[in-house]
Amino acid sequence: MRRWLLIAVPYLWLVVFFLVPFFIVFKISLSDIATAIPPYTPTFDITDIGGFLSQLDFENYAFIAQDSLYVNAYFSALKIAAISTLITLLVAYPIAYGMARAPKEWQPTLVMLVILPFWTSFLIRVYAWIGILKKEGLLNMFLMNLGVISEPLTIMNTSTAVYIGIVYSYLPFMILPLYASLEKINPALLEAAADLGSPPWKAFWQVTFPLSLPGVLAGCFLVFIPATGEFVIPDLLGGSETLMIGKTLWGEFFANRDWPVSSAVAVVLLLVLVVPIVLFQRNQEKQREAAR
Amino acid sequence: MSGAPAQSMSTSAAPGAGRATARTPAPLTGFAPWKDPSKRPIVRFENVVKRFGDFVAVKDCTLDIYEREFFALLGPSGCGKTTLLRMLAGFEKPTSGRILVAGQDITELAPYERPVNMMFQSYALFPHMTVEQNIGFGLKQEGMPKDQIGQRVEEAMSMLELTRFGKRKPHQLSGGQQQRVALARAIAKKPRIVLLDEPLGALDKRLRQTAQFELMGIQERTGTTFIIVTHDQEEAMTVSSRIAVMDHGEFVQIATPGDIYEAPNSRYVANFIGDVNLLEGKVVKVSDGFAEIDWGGGLARFKAVAPEGCASDQTVWLALRPEKIHIDFDKPTDASNAVAGKVVDVGYLGSISHYHVELANGQRVKALRTNSSRLVDRPISWEDKVWLEWPPETGIVVTR
Repeated sequence: MRRWLLIAVPYLWLVVFFLVPFFIVFKISLSDIATAIPPYTPTFDITDIGGFLSQLDFENYAFIAQDSLYVNAYFSALKIAAISTLITLLVAYPIAYGMARAPKEWQPTLVMLVILPFWTSFLIRVYAWIGILKKEGLLNMFLMNLGVISEPLTIMNTSTAVYIGIVYSYLPFMILPLYASLEKINPALLEAAADLGSPPWKAFWQVTFPLSLPGVLAGCFLVFIPATGEFVIPDLLGGSETLMIGKTLWGEFFANRDWPVSSAVAVVLLLVLVVPIVLFQRNQEKQREAAR
Repeated sequence: MSGAPAQSMSTSAAPGAGRATARTPAPLTGFAPWKDPSKRPIVRFENVVKRFGDFVAVKDCTLDIYEREFFALLGPSGCGKTTLLRMLAGFEKPTSGRILVAGQDITELAPYERPVNMMFQSYALFPHMTVEQNIGFGLKQEGMPKDQIGQRVEEAMSMLELTRFGKRKPHQLSGGQQQRVALARAIAKKPRIVLLDEPLGALDKRLRQTAQFELMGIQERTGTTFIIVTHDQEEAMTVSSRIAVMDHGEFVQIATPGDIYEAPNSRYVANFIGDVNLLEGKVVKVSDGFAEIDWGGGLARFKAVAPEGCASDQTVWLALRPEKIHIDFDKPTDASNAVAGKVVDVGYLGSISHYHVELANGQRVKALRTNSSRLVDRPISWEDKVWLEWPPETGIVVTR
């Protein structure tokens, strides 16, 4: 009985806060837009289940499949997410490596510094980048005062700004799993590699990197999955040419007030992300098994 | 007292010949390159010092190790033995001094450029590689062709009975198997010198004993120089050709296991290796290479081989191994060293018995007797009055 209760709690949580909302969104995606409150039809009617079901259809899905705007937005989002994940990995790896090699008494402080940005709202931090990246912003002022450039750079409202924003925002999600896997590596392994004739740069690719792979994968998924659906960063920092599905969804929902289509966009986005999510879960599972 | 200076004169005048014959000779192995001045050492530590901040881990160590030796660095934890080994592997740099391998100064060489391979205490097997890949790792770094690597790996695996486990990952192996993989990896490159850092420390006692003999067998078959770091004196005694006993970053004695046991040069060494009685006394006189020692409490003086530089009135210790003391009910006739005492403790171990005997001055002496006959009329028991006897050449007088 107690065991059953223990299992029931997380399941209940999932049902109430994930499954039920998902089915509501899924149901809306099968409805039609209407000038009403709520802005779709049909609404759920317990007295006429048959009539209610007969009004549901996959029209909205057909619509987003045919309109290249949506298809492009999905692909663009995946591309931007993939590239920024790669950049984040390249930036985060040396940081995590340095942290793992730092003196033991320093490491908790360094981890704290990585988490520190979370103490400020995500939205405010992204807003702050406008002040840095805009034409008369801090970055341009700094570079012009140094004499590196004579004309201010146009970074704001371009995809470059979006990449900077995503890499900056998701960096801790990459650093932490990388650090966790690098920190676990027995330093004697590198000594053994050196002892057997492998210079440090070779030993890195033969020993350190393969052993940090679980961290690399975990970090990549933790960045890639939310970055694909990201809308705040492209909305605030990106220009009109930066197409991302999160932003499209936001526009569909709040500007167009087309709840059924935006719900369909959301459901498809979820389906797109199911693949990396499953892969991520598998990676975590494998790691847990290896730890045993 | 007035005769004391004359007596000490006679010691220095008396040549060491009498002493040498009086001492129990170490078991001869026939292999003793350190006695051959024409032999050049394969490893030489030259005035090596290592400091970590204020802490001096290794104090001015000079040591020659010869080809095909199985050399043990023995000492308690923190005595500097591991630091010495790590300096030879290249993981630590000496603060001053030089390290030479086969006459070549390697002090400045990186670990991956040195002709030595190490077996780590934690084994340090690469967890993402199979047993074969682990063993072949060093050969791959040399750029050896694949088929040759396979052959050499095969060879190493069959030598250590690992052939069945080639495709397994380290975590799928038992501790003993992991230990053998670590050893196979260290010898696969056929290095001139193999370093072993507490190689058997993680094994249980029974497995350790088998592994010790296996280690000796491999060393003999490969003809490689092995240098082992251990805190286990039995292990050092079993496997090595010579032992360097270390304490606080210094060598206390460097000698064969037999010499270390039979002729320790200090209380520290005598105590560290095996069981020993250390009896404190004062030298009364020295003659013919023998010292007469008064150990107070109204007991008869005893006679022992005088060490070099032993003078009258000097406080010395007699290191006497329990198995060298003869214990009996009757007072021995014409024994040079005999003392009466009372048995306070008996330990029966089957093959041997331990006796703790309290002397008239309150000092306790451990004696040992092999139970060679199955039935004894009257075994020595608690509260028995017994006589202890030992020939003058069985004890070793140490001055420090």
